[in-house]
Amino acid sequence: MQVRTGVCGGARQPEASHPNRYRRRASPVRLHATGLRVSEVAAMVVFALLIINKAGGLIFNRTFAPGLQKLDSNDYLILAGTFHGIHAISRTISPAPPVQPLPGNRRPPTTGIESMESSHFRLTCFQTPTGVKFLLFTSPEQPNTDAVVRRCYEIYGEFVMKNPFYSLEMPVRVEKFDRALGAYLVRP
Amino acid sequence: MSVFSFYIFDRHTECIYSKRFAASNNAPPPRGAAGGGIQNGDVPASLRKASKDLDETKLIFGTIFSLRRMARQLGGADDQFLSYRTGEYKLHYFETPTQLKLVMLTSPNVGNMRTVLHQIWATLFVEYVVKSPLAPAEHTGGKGVANELFEGGLERFMEAVFRPQQ
Repeated sequence: MQVRTGVCGGARQPEASHPNRYRRRASPVRLHATGLRVSEVAAMVVFALLIINKAGGLIFNRTFAPGLQKLDSNDYLILAGTFHGIHAISRTISPAPPVQPLPGNRRPPTTGIESMESSHFRLTCFQTPTGVKFLLFTSPEQPNTDAVVRRCYEIYGEFVMKNPFYSLEMPVRVEKFDRALGAYLVRP
Repeated sequence: MSVFSFYIFDRHTECIYSKRFAASNNAPPPRGAAGGGIQNGDVPASLRKASKDLDETKLIFGTIFSLRRMARQLGGADDQFLSYRTGEYKLHYFETPTQLKLVMLTSPNVGNMRTVLHQIWATLFVEYVVKSPLAPAEHTGGKGVANELFEGGLERFMEAVFRPQQ
């Protein structure tokens, strides 16, 4: 899976000459194109995706399947801010001795929360090098959530970052991104 | 597969027991003697370590408190926070009906430790602390928890669970 390069992010290209592979829903072609087998897609329950910017603000929030409690938008903002803080704290708790002491008094680099489990759901967190966090809520049985969340990052790179009208750190309102995510994560 | 530390918090958010396990296998000492001593002035090393440990228990409590609330908020009232994992460690969490919270920090490749924490509570804490006639009902300041039977039992139990495999 690699991020495709090119200028297919904006809405400038005619759909007919460049058929967008995310457009079609639940066709075998699309399943093949996403690199997942049909059986894997059938076992998938992805509840929601949240994107948190590097300042801890919620910039994207979408529910794909029922299963989590309904929260109002304010609660989601609080949740995103809280998680941002917990993630930072979890980086400072490092009980493991460093493999090799770094020069000077530097702390070894730590990753922060990568996944969290509760009895009803699993939260997979993926932090990009620029500090944007992708929070994927899935059922606890969902396999290879790491690959799914990375794929969401690729779709984000493709349709949000390449969109010339998107301003950084702001809420994501990109229709193509919504459609691509829906095609990838909503169960057929 | 190794265990780093173990904590018990009571229902008043106080840490009533904490134990660090010696790093297993051939891990080097955390930092050289020359590095840390200069900047920290005349604060004795033991005191510095104690306040660092205290800070860490507070951070751990804050983390589990928030994550527990988050799990309740999203999963419903009967949802329980189980564990979280980072690249460096994994935190396991178990809460009893009396809101006693057991927390264990292990290496990230360890599987589900819920049964282990439950066993520590049921066979060690209840047997040696709750049933002890000398221990008070509320363990303010960790009073009555760290008795010999409990300490010894915990050490043996952890050794059995995290025994290095050939």
